[in-house]
Amino acid sequence: MKNSFRLLASTLVLPLALVIGPLSAQEKPQPVGADGPSPSNSLVRVNATLQAYNFLRPWEKGNPTPRRGLGALLSGGRVLVTAELVVNSTYIELELPTTGEKTPARIVGLDYEANLALLAPVDEKSQMLAKMVPFELDLTVKAPDTISVWQVEDNGDGVSTDLDVLRATVGEYFVSGSILLVYQVKGSLQYRANSFTLPAVRNNKLVGLLLSYDSKELTSSLLPAPIIQHFLDDLNDGKYDGFPSIGLGFAQTLDDQFRKFTGLEQVKGGVFVRNVAKEGSAAKAGIKEGDVIVKIAGKEIDSRGNYAHPIYGKLNFSHLVRGDAKVGDTLKFDLIRKGKPLTVDVKLERREPGSYLIDPYMFDRGPRYLIFGGLIFQELTRPYLESWGKDWPTRAPFNLVYSNANPEKYEQQGREKLVFLSQVLRTPATLGYENLNSIVVDKVDGKPIKSLADLADALNGVTLNGLHKIELEDYPRLIWVHDGVSRKVNDQLLGYGIGSLTRLE
Amino acid sequence: MGNLAMTFIGAGVAAIDFAGGGFYTVLFPSPALARAEPSTLPPKLIRLRPAMMKCPFRALMAAILVLALMWAAESRAQSAAPAPAAVPAPVLPAGVADVPSAAEQADVSQIEFGAVVRVEVDMLGANYRVPWNIGGTGSGVGTGFLVGKNQFLTNAHVISNARLIYIRKVDLPEPFPAKVLHVAHDCDLALLELIEPGDFKNFEKVTPLEIGGIPKLNTTVTAVGYPIGGDRISVTRGVVSRIDFRPYSHSAVDNHLTIQVDAAINPGNSGGPVLQDNKVVGVAFQGFSGAVAQNTAYMIPVPVVNRFLKDIQDGHYDNYVDLATSTINLLNPAQRLALGLPNDGTGVMVVNADASSSAAKLLLTGDVLLAIDGHAIASDGFVEIEGERINLNEIVERKFAGDKVKIDILRDGVKKSIEVELRRFLPYLIQANLYEQKPQFVLFAGLQFQPLDRNMMEVFNIASMDVRYFFANYGDHELYRERPQVVVLTAVLPDEINTYLEGYVSHVVDTVNGQKIQRLQDIYDALKDGVAEKGHEDFHVIRLLNEGRPLVLERNKAAEAHARILRKYNVSFDHYIEVPLIEQVMGKMPPIKDESPEAGKEAKPENKAAGPNGKPAGTAKPE
Repeated sequence: MKNSFRLLASTLVLPLALVIGPLSAQEKPQPVGADGPSPSNSLVRVNATLQAYNFLRPWEKGNPTPRRGLGALLSGGRVLVTAELVVNSTYIELELPTTGEKTPARIVGLDYEANLALLAPVDEKSQMLAKMVPFELDLTVKAPDTISVWQVEDNGDGVSTDLDVLRATVGEYFVSGSILLVYQVKGSLQYRANSFTLPAVRNNKLVGLLLSYDSKELTSSLLPAPIIQHFLDDLNDGKYDGFPSIGLGFAQTLDDQFRKFTGLEQVKGGVFVRNVAKEGSAAKAGIKEGDVIVKIAGKEIDSRGNYAHPIYGKLNFSHLVRGDAKVGDTLKFDLIRKGKPLTVDVKLERREPGSYLIDPYMFDRGPRYLIFGGLIFQELTRPYLESWGKDWPTRAPFNLVYSNANPEKYEQQGREKLVFLSQVLRTPATLGYENLNSIVVDKVDGKPIKSLADLADALNGVTLNGLHKIELEDYPRLIWVHDGVSRKVNDQLLGYGIGSLTRLE
Repeated sequence: MGNLAMTFIGAGVAAIDFAGGGFYTVLFPSPALARAEPSTLPPKLIRLRPAMMKCPFRALMAAILVLALMWAAESRAQSAAPAPAAVPAPVLPAGVADVPSAAEQADVSQIEFGAVVRVEVDMLGANYRVPWNIGGTGSGVGTGFLVGKNQFLTNAHVISNARLIYIRKVDLPEPFPAKVLHVAHDCDLALLELIEPGDFKNFEKVTPLEIGGIPKLNTTVTAVGYPIGGDRISVTRGVVSRIDFRPYSHSAVDNHLTIQVDAAINPGNSGGPVLQDNKVVGVAFQGFSGAVAQNTAYMIPVPVVNRFLKDIQDGHYDNYVDLATSTINLLNPAQRLALGLPNDGTGVMVVNADASSSAAKLLLTGDVLLAIDGHAIASDGFVEIEGERINLNEIVERKFAGDKVKIDILRDGVKKSIEVELRRFLPYLIQANLYEQKPQFVLFAGLQFQPLDRNMMEVFNIASMDVRYFFANYGDHELYRERPQVVVLTAVLPDEINTYLEGYVSHVVDTVNGQKIQRLQDIYDALKDGVAEKGHEDFHVIRLLNEGRPLVLERNKAAEAHARILRKYNVSFDHYIEVPLIEQVMGKMPPIKDESPEAGKEAKPENKAAGPNGKPAGTAKPE
């Protein structure tokens, strides 16, 4: 585990003295009113109120929490922030650091995988941002350039801190599993109020947004301008496609014995395809487990999986097929299959999180659920599992954790979502079932349950003897509930404080 | 919650093997001895036997701390020191000036203290991490008692992994070497005898303790033994608090009848008699740590003790038999209506009979169990035996392999009676604490392969999803049919030949050189000359489950590397393999696919035949 943490968390625990303390050697005050961009005339405070959905009590939302950060003004009166700053937001406002003037804002562009959001005042006629100077992007930063991180004091004065770029690499942003380009930078930073999302600049141009800061190692990671540019270009063409994904896992081929085994003796470099995601770009192009990728779009892939990037040097090939590429692009892959060369064209696609059996992430909407007589049914999502805490892989119910890692069996059964009995409220209808939890639902009244909508339909259907028969994947395999009693209980549950018995959309 | 910290004082050797010095010097109660469930094993993994109990006990097991009551307080060094030449004759508690009531005094003064012996044990554990090495050593003290000519009963956990056992009589200075005659790890009992028959002359005048019956609630019992707090015999007294089915912490997977008492029973009492009217009514064996509950100690009751003593009469212990059938209580009116049962508080529903169990194909999902050997089954799974409400498994518990049990069931509204011949069910053992084991392994070119079991799992603390899946579902999903032993790549001893393979540990091995790996022996055989994957004759090819990248070793380099690694790492032998226990007992099993369609076929005609003759549900009397 890296000893890095999100800036917000650190801000909360640091004493106020630091915020107004003397400037460090690397820091210098920034003049107000200069012609070009400056902290005072190009940064906007963003105040958001966030309220996440509760996946374990799906009828509820959690505590509303404030989050404050800095946004970078772009042309057209739009303010760029990380998506994390406005995730699950109920209210967002923009504030001028100099005057404290505020205006409500809305999200005009959003990508959680790229951790980017674009905000604009709700009032289209608002002139609040008119006098400010928008940033342009600088896409050319590389090691060992020096960049500056901009912040503003409580009184609106700007502060700039110099940091050194160590290297460009690929890493995770905010949604786990989403890998994109990052700059690693080094240098000490002081925390100030509003330090969630800090813009980084060089020669008054925006080079990235600070993602995280490790106060022990004094290193930070930066969401870089090329990814921001990709996001903006995508938004500007009117239809947002997001970042493509290739859908394969690879192994390095440094082991000489393994190279001989795979028929790579006459070949340089190459990575071994360990697995191919069904329905992914690679699978659709016919790439198979056991293939060796030696070139992508004419660029040689070395045995560690890197290619020579014209600016950054050695970089993992995932940038080539994700950060640097667009949905719909076709890339030529040179493969070795069973010792023989082969070329395939891979059309890059992206899968919506909702198209997976188990949603990998879910924001700004609540999980689907259905309560019937005290039985609580839900669709399994990764956020549900993550709700069990940081060590959820060992704390969450193992059968659900395993299903999340191995969804193929359920996909082959034609399920769209994995419906499970998450818990049971003790009611007259659920007598004897109180201890059941975390069991996948197979059928209700003989009908296969492929989504929560199927379950709702089945429970609203005609019953035999007034009973519903529920077949479960695991113990106790078979239970029945009384339709009439359950519906009476439903009414009582509403009176008891459960606001709504279902969320199907 | 996940910390199922079961402290096995006597069994702790394996857990502290690798701590460094290896000597077992920690005084009870010490957290160093507490064997915490590794975080990779969520409480839900614990499959408790019998399967019928699995739901209620899963929750229970997660919440409790159970201590096996052997006192391992002595350091190795201390116990190795010569015993004092003369031990003063103990002042027996009966002689202590006291003012008990006349009845109580009579109770104690009759006790034959000479029959209650101190059992001192030197232990040698197994080394699962470096399986060619021996494990850690330690020592402990427990109690035993004379039950017949040169037969001393004690707990299995007192003598598990014993290298040397000594028995000391209450009034004599010298220890007598003893050995294990029979051990039953599934009910935590063992029978010892003195190695030198001549030594028994010291006990010839001692009357063996008589075995009594099940004491009534709230009656007084007396525990006698050698617990922590001094060297001489100790007597404590309390009442019978509860009679219930409970998990036995020694194996961690067995449940049997247990009696809870509020007498002070402490580490060292293990194996000692609990008496009433001078008869043994239980064997003290486990309790809660003081942090969890007070004045709750448990003893093994007479039905379990008698069953053990009867089982071994033929010269060997045959273990408990099991229906291996899970059930759900029938408390919900909708359930009862659907199954055609009146609201009369009877019957439980069959959830599943394990396919390799005694009841396979005889009990089907949805069957209602109405009575077992004529005892009506209540809807909470209890039956009445000798005036006590006890879990219905108690009927099966008292039987032996080959015995039959008659079960009255309701299937599709029709009553019928079936007979099940009982036998042992082994798949759950993968989750059991195992003792007296020599760790099995195959080491090849630095790749260490070991079969999955609880001991190995705890030592390596494996987090891999696949391994955890096999561990949790080996029995329930009948994974033992395809893999009687689940073989895992547990370690790599680094060498130039395997330097890129270290990242692949903790995976389940699927094939080696084209051969399916169903047991450890298969790996050993597959690595021999002449066995190769087609088209890859120059390589050893090891394919792991759910891992696309095979591990390959060049044959012409592997043999040389293997010899080099054995030398460098001081490996004294490179494999130790046994026929998997499950195959020793149950034979080779056909793969699951061959059988399941058949099961369906057989079940259906049976239903039809029963249909026309059956009486309407709820009106017929049990057959």
